Amino acid sequence: MDCCGGTTEHEDDCGEVKVKDSIDAKTVEAAKALESENYSAGFATTIETDFAPKGLSEDTIRYISAAKNEPEWLLEWRLKAYERWLTMEEPTWAMVRYPKIDYQAYYYYAAPKAGAKYASIDDVPKEILETYEKLGIPLREAEVLLGVEGAVETAAEGREKPRVAVDAVFDSVSVATTFRKELQKAGVIFMSISEAVHEYPDLVKKYLGTVVPQSDNFFATLNSAVFSDGTFVYIPKGVRCPMELSTYFRMNAENTGQFERTLIVADEAAYVSYLEGCTAPMRDENQLHAAVVELVALEDAEIKYSTVQNWWPGDEDGKGGIFNFVTKRGDCRGDRSKISWTQVETGSAVTWKYPSCILRGDDSVGEFYSIAVTNGRQQADTGTKMIHLGKRTKSRIISKGISAGKSDNTYRGLVSVNRKAVNARNFTQCDSLLIGEKCGAHTIPYVENRCASAQLEHEATTTKLSEDQLFYARQRGIAEEDAVALLVNGFVRDVLQHLPMEFAVEAQSLLKVSLEGSVG
Amino acid sequence: MTTALRDFIKNPTAAELELVARYGMQPEDARRERAFLAFAETGLPHRRMEGWKWTDFKAALKALETPAAASAKDPLPDDGALVFRFTPKGFEAPAKLPDGIRMVVQPGVQAFPGAEDVPMGALAAALAGGGKRPATLAFEITSSEAPRLHFVFEGAGEASFARIVFLVRSGASLTLTESYLGGAGLTASVLEFDLERGAKLNRTIFQRGGAGEALAVTGIAHLGAEAEMTQTTLAFGAKVARMETRVVHQASGSKLNLNAAYLSGKGFHADITTNVRHGAPSCVTRQLTKGAVLDGGTGVFQGKFFVPRKTGQHTDADMQHQALLLEDGAQVFAKPELEIYADDVECAHGNTCGALDDAQMFYLRQRGIPETQARAMLTEAFIAEALGMADEAVRDVLLAEAQNWLSS
Repeated sequence: MDCCGGTTEHEDDCGEVKVKDSIDAKTVEAAKALESENYSAGFATTIETDFAPKGLSEDTIRYISAAKNEPEWLLEWRLKAYERWLTMEEPTWAMVRYPKIDYQAYYYYAAPKAGAKYASIDDVPKEILETYEKLGIPLREAEVLLGVEGAVETAAEGREKPRVAVDAVFDSVSVATTFRKELQKAGVIFMSISEAVHEYPDLVKKYLGTVVPQSDNFFATLNSAVFSDGTFVYIPKGVRCPMELSTYFRMNAENTGQFERTLIVADEAAYVSYLEGCTAPMRDENQLHAAVVELVALEDAEIKYSTVQNWWPGDEDGKGGIFNFVTKRGDCRGDRSKISWTQVETGSAVTWKYPSCILRGDDSVGEFYSIAVTNGRQQADTGTKMIHLGKRTKSRIISKGISAGKSDNTYRGLVSVNRKAVNARNFTQCDSLLIGEKCGAHTIPYVENRCASAQLEHEATTTKLSEDQLFYARQRGIAEEDAVALLVNGFVRDVLQHLPMEFAVEAQSLLKVSLEGSVG
Repeated sequence: MTTALRDFIKNPTAAELELVARYGMQPEDARRERAFLAFAETGLPHRRMEGWKWTDFKAALKALETPAAASAKDPLPDDGALVFRFTPKGFEAPAKLPDGIRMVVQPGVQAFPGAEDVPMGALAAALAGGGKRPATLAFEITSSEAPRLHFVFEGAGEASFARIVFLVRSGASLTLTESYLGGAGLTASVLEFDLERGAKLNRTIFQRGGAGEALAVTGIAHLGAEAEMTQTTLAFGAKVARMETRVVHQASGSKLNLNAAYLSGKGFHADITTNVRHGAPSCVTRQLTKGAVLDGGTGVFQGKFFVPRKTGQHTDADMQHQALLLEDGAQVFAKPELEIYADDVECAHGNTCGALDDAQMFYLRQRGIPETQARAMLTEAFIAEALGMADEAVRDVLLAEAQNWLSS
């Protein structure tokens, strides 16, 4: 296998799985079988799809741009990124190994034949609606139940029924965005980025690429060249977004890559909570997902960005699965602004992702809460960067990594304090849990402090589940797997507390699924 | 050969060309060549290499020149110790060694496995020797009562290289002190230790160089069953100074204490880098690094614990790095890293970085203690913990050196 980067520690480990004597071989087999079958989002939807010509070239980019009827400036922007990308090399520093990616073997654009965007939800093809329903995102019901057209809700009603507006992205296009009109009343712009390019070109032009520049890194540059759809959110001055916003990314077509781009701008004193979910069908081939997310928080604004990443992780032998190479960065541009990233990572064959905060405004705050669970042959190299530039900026990093099966889970983070970031503060805590003896947990924190008055603390531990705790739970009659799930959920509680409620429930169950069959 | 090597280092700097020329003057030797090729792979390490991003020899060392500053005075006492002296051109050793210590001056180079992981160590191995200096200086320690060995690296010159190998036999113990006193434009030494079952090593490194010098001290140790190693470093840095230690726990029950303190003033850079591999079950590592940095100074700490699958079970390891930035303009970079593949282990690491506690300063100031002195007192108390396990003969001297630096 032609591999990129990583360590050689696994090389002796390619044969049959060796199991401790104390564990029943049948149980292990059964658990192994469960792992891939447990992926409930692994179905594929049969729908006629339009593809861009396979492979990546200037023509592909022109095709995408034309398909979206984009203005000339954006095409130029894409081509410039592509030109740059050709000169770049794929990074190999992450602690992940995967076969060499053939960038010409993917379709860079796939859209349902019936068209990209539908005037109303009724026009969305049945197959797509069913797909989202099956995934627990009933687009139609949400709108109907709460009455979109003309229905005026009372504040009390709004409180009773927590609402989530959804932008549904299916392969390369956004197929539906719910509650748009509702949100418009509050002045909130919530739409796919392809639409925003036409409807709010000035806003898009003003902020696109200002947090993650075109040529930021190999995958972000690729995204800049071929990005298909994603979400654009703008919260005007002083507005607290009346509902949770979310995007649900679904990769469906075979041999495609998904390259969405999300841009969220919170103007002065605005607040928004945004959720992101992702799933994909079980396929034998690896699929590529290289997204870019840019957040801009102006003075006193706050953005809460939560992700539940459940891309197809590949089967127990490491066949298939998504390569998740994502660049996410938030810019606390204004004083007293706050950006908080919360992520629950359970999917993907390979993850390479470092949601970051540039703390530019004085007194701005960055937070990163993460749970990364790897199982089977999954590899995750994830963490955050906190770049302290402004005075009295604060950041907090809480990262919990859980490795099981034959997986590898790496926390990689940077805390950097500029000379001028007087009285900056950082607290980092990263814990790793190993379940079984064939997995790996790694912690690679980078700390760069150039300011004497800054105070940085980092602590980390790596342990296995406490046998005493497990025994305590077991002797109370709790089955071993339930006990592990219980203890693990206790271990990750800190992080889950920061997830919006709807997602916390989903995340809890995801966590259970990922850990089944891992006791050992 | 020299021409081919010259081409081997991409875009060589003047300093690298001079190193190639020095290599060309050495007698031909396949093992020396392998060591040099390992170095030539990257040339002088630079910031684009992961392990050297904060310690850039290529940028700091433009040419091999004799620095203006003379060597520092050696503060470590030599009474009761056997003194060995390395200068850029010479080497001195006691005429007679007591029983239990055997020294072999080898004109040829020994093989240097793993050279590619330590480019500066490889360079030292490739260029050690010539003139009166041994290519490899080897010691066999068979006594548990052997006197302290004291190594001094000093003297004016362009460059000084040394390679020293110690074999500490089962049950024997070695107390070793090293003083790196500067004087040469580039000093690179590599010391290797092989500790057999139950062997003991107490190693202390004192380093003080000029602001125009480059220094790399590479230590590589293999610990046998129940062997014990304690290392204490006090480094004041140089233009660029790297104190690198790689330890492998090779058999179960070995113990390692790895302590260091760095004090880095204006124009000085001190790098403490360690890599510990828990290659056997039930081994213990305790690591404490403390640093204090002034305006214009740089401190670097890079620690790594590697715990392999199966063999690393029941590892008990703890890594702590704490740094004080005493003034604006000081900078500290740290990377305390864990790479773990065994599930039944206890590994922890901690890293803190900040200024002195205002409340403590205030307490001392209101007792009438001037600011500089108060700062020195608090910093000394902070640093002292990392020096506490040094050999008795030198512990107080190290503390006094730290004190002097802090109060000046």
